Order: sequence, then C-alpha cells, then structure tokens
Amino acid sequence: MRFFDSHVHMVSRTTDDYQRMAAAGVTAIIEPSFWQGQPRTEVGTFKDYFNSLIGFERFRASQFGIQHYCTIGLNPKEANNEKLAEAVLELMPLYICKEGVVGIGEIGFDDQTKAEEKYLIKQAELALEADLPIQIHTPHRDKKKGTIRTMDVLEDVGVDPSKVIIDHNNEETVKQVLDRGYWSAFTIYPHTKLGNERMVELILEYGAEQIVVDSAADWGISDPLAVPKTAALMKDRGISLEKIEQVTYHNPLAAYGQSGQVSEKDWDENEGIDPTALFEGNTLLRGGMDVETAMSQYLIE
Amino acid sequence: MRDTLIDTLALSADADAVSWLRQTLSELSENFEKRPFYYAFSGVSRRFDKSATIQGSDESLFEGWDKYRAARVALLLVLAEQEKETFLETFFAVLNTADIREQIALFSALQWMPHQEELVEPAVDGLRSNIVDIFDAIALNNPFPQKHFTDEAWNQMVLKAIFITRPLYRIHGIADRKNQLLAEAISDLAHERWAAGRVITPEAWRSVSGFLDERHGNDIRKIAESENSDDRSAAALVVSESGNDLEDLRETLAPELAQIDSGELTWHTLGQTMEEKLVRKSLT
Repeated sequence: MRFFDSHVHMVSRTTDDYQRMAAAGVTAIIEPSFWQGQPRTEVGTFKDYFNSLIGFERFRASQFGIQHYCTIGLNPKEANNEKLAEAVLELMPLYICKEGVVGIGEIGFDDQTKAEEKYLIKQAELALEADLPIQIHTPHRDKKKGTIRTMDVLEDVGVDPSKVIIDHNNEETVKQVLDRGYWSAFTIYPHTKLGNERMVELILEYGAEQIVVDSAADWGISDPLAVPKTAALMKDRGISLEKIEQVTYHNPLAAYGQSGQVSEKDWDENEGIDPTALFEGNTLLRGGMDVETAMSQYLIE
Repeated sequence: MRDTLIDTLALSADADAVSWLRQTLSELSENFEKRPFYYAFSGVSRRFDKSATIQGSDESLFEGWDKYRAARVALLLVLAEQEKETFLETFFAVLNTADIREQIALFSALQWMPHQEELVEPAVDGLRSNIVDIFDAIALNNPFPQKHFTDEAWNQMVLKAIFITRPLYRIHGIADRKNQLLAEAISDLAHERWAAGRVITPEAWRSVSGFLDERHGNDIRKIAESENSDDRSAAALVVSESGNDLEDLRETLAPELAQIDSGELTWHTLGQTMEEKLVRKSLT
C-alpha cells in the first residue's frame, strides 16, 4: 500500500524517519509551514525557512523516493507579532505560486486573538487570489469554538469550503466540519491529540468521505509512521481496504490536488532514487533500517 | 528577442499556456506590478509541461532549455524594461527566494538584463552552487561572465568547470580570456590529478596554450604520449598554436596535426567529442 501523509514537519525529523516512512509505503508528503518551537524574531528566518521547504527538504525527501510538497503560511502563534506578521505577508506572494506549493497553511487560530483573526483573513484572501487550497490549524485550547469561528471567518471572506482542509479535528468538531462541506483531517499524535483507536471509531461512525488521516509529526514526541500504523490498525479492526485507501491516500490527494501542483503522475513517473545525487554538496543516504520493528507495534495512544 | 523566444516556445508548448504567457507579458508590459510578476514567474509551473525541452528551435541560444526556463526568461525580459529601482528590487527578491529551476532561468537571462554591473556578484555567488544545472546556466552558453568577470572570478569559474568536467567549448570567451595564472592553476590541477592516478579533461589544455614555459611544455609532452587519443588531440592543438616551441612533438603527433590542417580537429570539435562521451557515460 502507499500512503499520502498530508501533514508532517520533516525539517525536524531524521533520515532514519525518512527511511522508515519510505519502507512503510509513504509515497508523498506535505510539509506545512509552521512555527519552529520558539518564536522567530526576523523575517529573514522565515525566508530561509520557506527556501528550505522548496529546496533542501524537498531534495532530502527525494533521496528516499518520497515526493515532498509544502504549504506556505504564517502560523497563528507568530501572527501575534504584528510587525513580523506584516513582513511575512509581504514575503508570501513570492512563494505561493511555486512548483510543489499545494496550499496556504497551516493557518488559523491559537489563542484566538484579534491579530490572529486579522492574519487568517489576509491569508484566506491570498489563497483566493492565487486559487489555492487552505490548510487550517485548529487551536488546542477551546478547540470547538475556535473551529467554528475559523469556518465563520473563512466563509465571510468567500472561501469555498471544499478547498479547505481543517486539521486536528476530534470527536467534538468533526460533525460540524463535515456538515459545512470542509475536508476534515485528523492528526494521529500520541498523548496530546488523537490516538488511532479513536480514529477507527470515527471512521466507523462517519465513514471515509471528506476524511483525511495525517501524522503532524514534528519536533515533539510524535510518530512519522502514524499514517501507515493507523492503516494497519484499521485493517485489523475490519475497515474495508477501500475506505483505508480513501482516508490515507485518495482524499488528501484530491483535496490538495485542487492546487494543480500535485498529482499521482508525479510519483508514477518517478524514476526512482538517485543515491549519488547531491544538493549543494550534501549527500544523505546511510545504511540501516528498522521499519519492521517500528511497524510491529502500531497502536498509538 | 522576446518574440523569437515565445515563437520558439509556441512550436512545442501547450497552446493555452502560450496564450496565457502572451497575455501576461502584454499586461505586465503595459502596467508592471511586482505581485502579478511574482505569481507569473513562479506560476509558469502551473501552466507548462514539467520536463520537456523546447523543440524545433534554430536558435542555439535556447539549446536544451525546458519550457519553464523559456517562459520565465520571457517574463524577465519584461522586467528588464522597468526603471532601475523596480528592476533591481524585483530581480533580487525573486533570486533570493528562487527554487532551483527559477535560479536557472534567472542566471540564463543575465545576458539580456540591464544594470549588469549590479548582477556580477550574484552570478559569481551562483557559481558556488554544487547544483550542476545552476553552474551550467551561468558558465555555459552565456556571454555574461566573459563580459563582466574579473580575472580572479573568471579563473575560478574555468577551474571549477574543469574540476566538475563541464564542456569548456560552451564557455563564451574561453579562447580570449586565457591568462598566465589560469594556465598555472590548470597545470597544478593536472599534476594533482596525475599524482592521484586520475585524469583531467583534454579540453583544459586550451587555456594553457600560449603560456608555455618549461613546466607547461613538459605537461604537453606528457599528454602527447598518452594512450588516450583525446589527450593526443589536445596536445596537437597546443603544438599547432605554439609556433616553434614543442617542435619536437610534431613527429609523434603527425596524424593529429594532419587532422588539424584539414579542419577536422579543432578545440570546438574536441569539446563536442568530450561532451558526447560525457553524455553517453551518464546514460549507462
């Protein structure tokens, strides 16, 4: 089976992760722009971060046979630094139409401040201007209200819900998100977000239409194999292969494919890995792979 | 120039994509604004085929270009018409945020850009890339370095081209900008390679020719004895350009010198031969 993990922060992951992901069938990934664990103080660091998403990280992924795409955006946490936020918004038009940029993201609310709302609106307008999908980060705190408020704001701007992927949903938010016509993504992230047994229950209740499963693996205790592991658990619990493929591959592809910047052709025509290729003098391939060990325990709690 | 480029592109590109490009160029020509330019420049990837090279071109200027590069250079030609401040700000904004293929287009376009004196430093810096396609976009088939580089930058470029085995005959001005320091550096590189049991591209010797002292003369004597026929061709070319120096090699290199007399062998044909071998090697 092959998987499309539409939310994973590979800049924080190692080459071991890439190897295990490739071996577990992860064919394509989307790396959303996000904060880096601590606030940035200069717009130049955003520029270099965006450059790495369209440059070195894409190359690094290709070394493991994985197609890497990204979304470009100002995350809600850093939207609260308005001087910086304005400068990042000035920078974004340089990136959003580039090859392999499949959306504006991840944007949305964190503390649900006025400044966060302002930059959510501005970036939604930018997405309309460039005709791109939007990847939404929903807040950890006061999630239900924040999710509803996000949808209200987007609809006020005139965004079509079918071009929006709302991420980090849970049992409390899923119904409204689906009812209002959005893609509903679930992040399988140990401890703080959603375990994959709950995901199985959600599929049993809501089916597979408009539903996306991702890992959001980042610099924290997270799991870059969350998507294949959840697929394994779903299979174990009797969910049909068709549904499993829909939520772990076809749906994210259809949702972000609306950008015109990602299609199955990109990896079907892929000639394979060139282990001798260099990116600015760096090569990455190393030996060793422990995917079987990693996949043998696929329950994520 | 812009028309030639678009007409060439139109021969093989999707008709809708070409008409989008024509429309965008005319809008930007009439009323240039940065943001629509950014969208168009990067958005070329949304309109044109990813991989195909442009076809049916008699214009050797565009040889080997893909559609992204051709369309982006056409857009840069509109940017080139803008006033200095707008031009420089936009050019640098795009360059500093460019992906690999955008960088290739930007560097290919240098030769048609205004205010070239401001673009020398980024071109020299671009050559530090280890991405061969970026190096090639600056160094090969591009008159910009010949016109603007200091000897120091020029020598670095030629040495790196030799070091990474790029086809030197495609470097504009390779014959005219030879100099003593470069000749010495090439000889040093050859000695390092030989010490390691490795080879150096025979094309390298074209930049040594004309600066013969005893050491260089001995280098040429060494390659004249080589089992590799391309090395011997290079030695013969140097001999043919060296008047009475190296007279002693004329007998050994008689067959190659005859080819030179008949016009069959030149630095250009040697370069083409080496490049064909390189391509064949990379395909196998």
